[in-house]
Amino acid sequence: MSVYSQSKTSGAQPPKRRAAFYDLDGTLVDLNLVHAAIFTLANVGEWSGRVSYLLGFAARLPHLYVAERRDRRLLNTLLFEAFKGVSRDRLLSLGEEYCERIVIGRLFPRGLDLIEANRAAGIEPVLVTGSPDFIVAPLARHLGVADFAANRLVFSRGRASGRLAEPVMAGDEKAAWCADYAAARDIDLADCWGYADSHYDMAFLAKLGHPVAVNPDRRLRAAALSRQWPVIRFETAASSAQLDDFDKQQELKQDFERSTRGSDGAA
Amino acid sequence: MARPEGKLKELKTAELRHEVGARSELVVKLNRRSERRVIPYGEEFLFEKLPVGTRVIYPPPPLDPLADADQAIRYALLHPENQDPLFAQLSPNMRVTIAIDDISIPLPPMRRPDIRERLLNQVLQTLADYGVDDVHLVIATSLHRRMTEAEIRRVVGERAFKQYWPERLYNFDAENRAELALLGKTEHGEEVCLSRRAAESDLLIYLNVNLVPMDGGHKSVAVGLAPYQSLRHHHNVATLRDSHSYMDPERSALHRSSDRMGRLIHKSLNIFQIETAVNTRMYGGMLDFLQKNEDHFTDWDRTRLRGFQWTMRNMSNEMRRAVLHNYAAPYGMIGVWAGDTETVHRNALARVFQQYAVPVKGQADILIVGVPYICPYNVNSIMNPVLAQCTAMGYLFNMYRNKPLVREGGTMIICHPLRDEFHPEHHPSYIEFFHRCLAETTDAVELEKNFEREFARNPTYIHMYRYGNAYHGVHPFYMWYWGEPARQHLGRVIAAGCEEPEVAARLGWEPADTLGEAIAMATSELGRSASITYLHLPPLVIADVE
Repeated sequence: MSVYSQSKTSGAQPPKRRAAFYDLDGTLVDLNLVHAAIFTLANVGEWSGRVSYLLGFAARLPHLYVAERRDRRLLNTLLFEAFKGVSRDRLLSLGEEYCERIVIGRLFPRGLDLIEANRAAGIEPVLVTGSPDFIVAPLARHLGVADFAANRLVFSRGRASGRLAEPVMAGDEKAAWCADYAAARDIDLADCWGYADSHYDMAFLAKLGHPVAVNPDRRLRAAALSRQWPVIRFETAASSAQLDDFDKQQELKQDFERSTRGSDGAA
Repeated sequence: MARPEGKLKELKTAELRHEVGARSELVVKLNRRSERRVIPYGEEFLFEKLPVGTRVIYPPPPLDPLADADQAIRYALLHPENQDPLFAQLSPNMRVTIAIDDISIPLPPMRRPDIRERLLNQVLQTLADYGVDDVHLVIATSLHRRMTEAEIRRVVGERAFKQYWPERLYNFDAENRAELALLGKTEHGEEVCLSRRAAESDLLIYLNVNLVPMDGGHKSVAVGLAPYQSLRHHHNVATLRDSHSYMDPERSALHRSSDRMGRLIHKSLNIFQIETAVNTRMYGGMLDFLQKNEDHFTDWDRTRLRGFQWTMRNMSNEMRRAVLHNYAAPYGMIGVWAGDTETVHRNALARVFQQYAVPVKGQADILIVGVPYICPYNVNSIMNPVLAQCTAMGYLFNMYRNKPLVREGGTMIICHPLRDEFHPEHHPSYIEFFHRCLAETTDAVELEKNFEREFARNPTYIHMYRYGNAYHGVHPFYMWYWGEPARQHLGRVIAAGCEEPEVAARLGWEPADTLGEAIAMATSELGRSASITYLHLPPLVIADVE
């Protein structure tokens, strides 16, 4: 059976506050966490430092692979250890750069359309992602999203300790964060929409009244089919036949540049 | 080259002989020695004994198809009704749009070549011969799901597909505001909105297939190429309640509304309508026994039926569905007309009624119908409970002219397993409609008032309609409204063979484990003398009830 709320709804009642929670990697953007980590590590410090960061990261890959298969929280924890020792300032500037140079160009155009259409229908967007906050913050600003939940590194004397601050945004914690967020704003989760691509987001999606599997992996797709969740596919700009790709990307980049120029240092 | 008139006359005489001979046996009263009857039951077929005295109405046998369909199409294009021949309307620099009926008809999809492929090949050749280059092919989906590439290829054929897909052959998008044009309002205040490409064309050619009398006419363009903004004027509870029946266009408010819209469209557009009619040859070859009177079954027919039942029963749901939806019907084309919409449709309707109509005396207390695996909205998909409701109460109940087959306050027994099963990519809004809206009320007026707009404007459903293969968010509401005349008319609905009683309850029906139990439930209230009618499917039949 479905998870839909059976609470009474009437057209005469005042409109309820509603939110749409979006996962990021694989859902709104055609990227993953490992890509962001490699980009960041390949651009910190001197050349020698970069090589040692990347070698260290390469040595972690088998662990990361095993972690990915078993537990998303473990994956995040291991992955963010690679940032140990990098300064906060550097991460913030790399986050801006990564967002501008890479993420913006890899956003699914139809995902953006959906955010806007939801917003127009009074459904406020919220990002809930395992990506680091130094990448998510500039992106949220670009998308005009006021609220987001992302993973945060713990810093000690201005440098990353390699540990993640609680709650780690993965699995059940995502669901719990959404529940807290909704409770604080008097939003009924049964009226909220959730969009995610991975079976690790099952708990998060199941918490919401309107779960939607976006570009689902094999296990999420199977779960979505059995639970009768809608399944949608976003395509990259390159493969999206109906979009004027290049112009759209240029437009997005210009928007981003305008938004970052207008809010220097705000991240 | 035109078909010789003499041959046409010969053909018609032969068909009439065939008809008169065959129709005397189409209404059968069962006695103690009568054979059990085949009853569609979702993706299976039941073979059940019906009570003595039950009246069984059989569809007329298939009329002979046109001997040379391509020749007949050529004849129609050269001799249209109340219009110049197609070639005489063409000039090299004109803009032409060809709108094509979508996958919802015929059912099951027909064997290749599809009628639309035949029509298209000749129309495109004529356009090419007269130097018309600016041609777009639009699948008139309205709020139906987008057809997939493979489905479009199958319908339009290789030649058109290779030449036009995807830039100039595409599905209509009712949510692309930039591609819609408002043509005006009818005298009843109905907004007429249409595909901009069609509205701005010098010539709109519509390629239609009439499976039942509900199809075709002004409805083709006024509905097929229209968005929610227009459809809401006739796809609503009040209009559908005033339609008696959908299969009788003269007594259908739905058709009156779409006719008004169509006439307004005709004032600003030049439309060349091509309508076709198919016979009732739904099942052929190894499955032809499904269309037979069971009293005439041979041992070979019974063996095939048992083999078919055993095979279906022992397949997984997915496999059974795949097998059934892969079946293509050997329909034959029994008529083709071109030209002015109203004249063409009048001719097509006459032919369709000639094929489907069966005279029936009097109404019954109890009507039994079996819901098959397919309806217009689940081709290559799942027959979910909302669609089963629409098929039974929207379509099968309405298979009449004059009066319904069942008396007012009577009982309808619907054979279907009614599983809580939906296709999440094709019917996403149906899931929410069933679990949320119907949980609150089954009253169509309340549903329309409280939920319709929310679903029609839901961004995720719109996204899935535009870029996925989902029916529009508002579609389940239309399916529910479709059953409204039946809900108003019937006293009781019993779901026979219902596997999930809570699904039947959600639809407002009473569950029964078996058909026998359902009949016992119905007769316990109405008495043993209650008259029972079984509407035999497949294929389809329209009862002219006296």
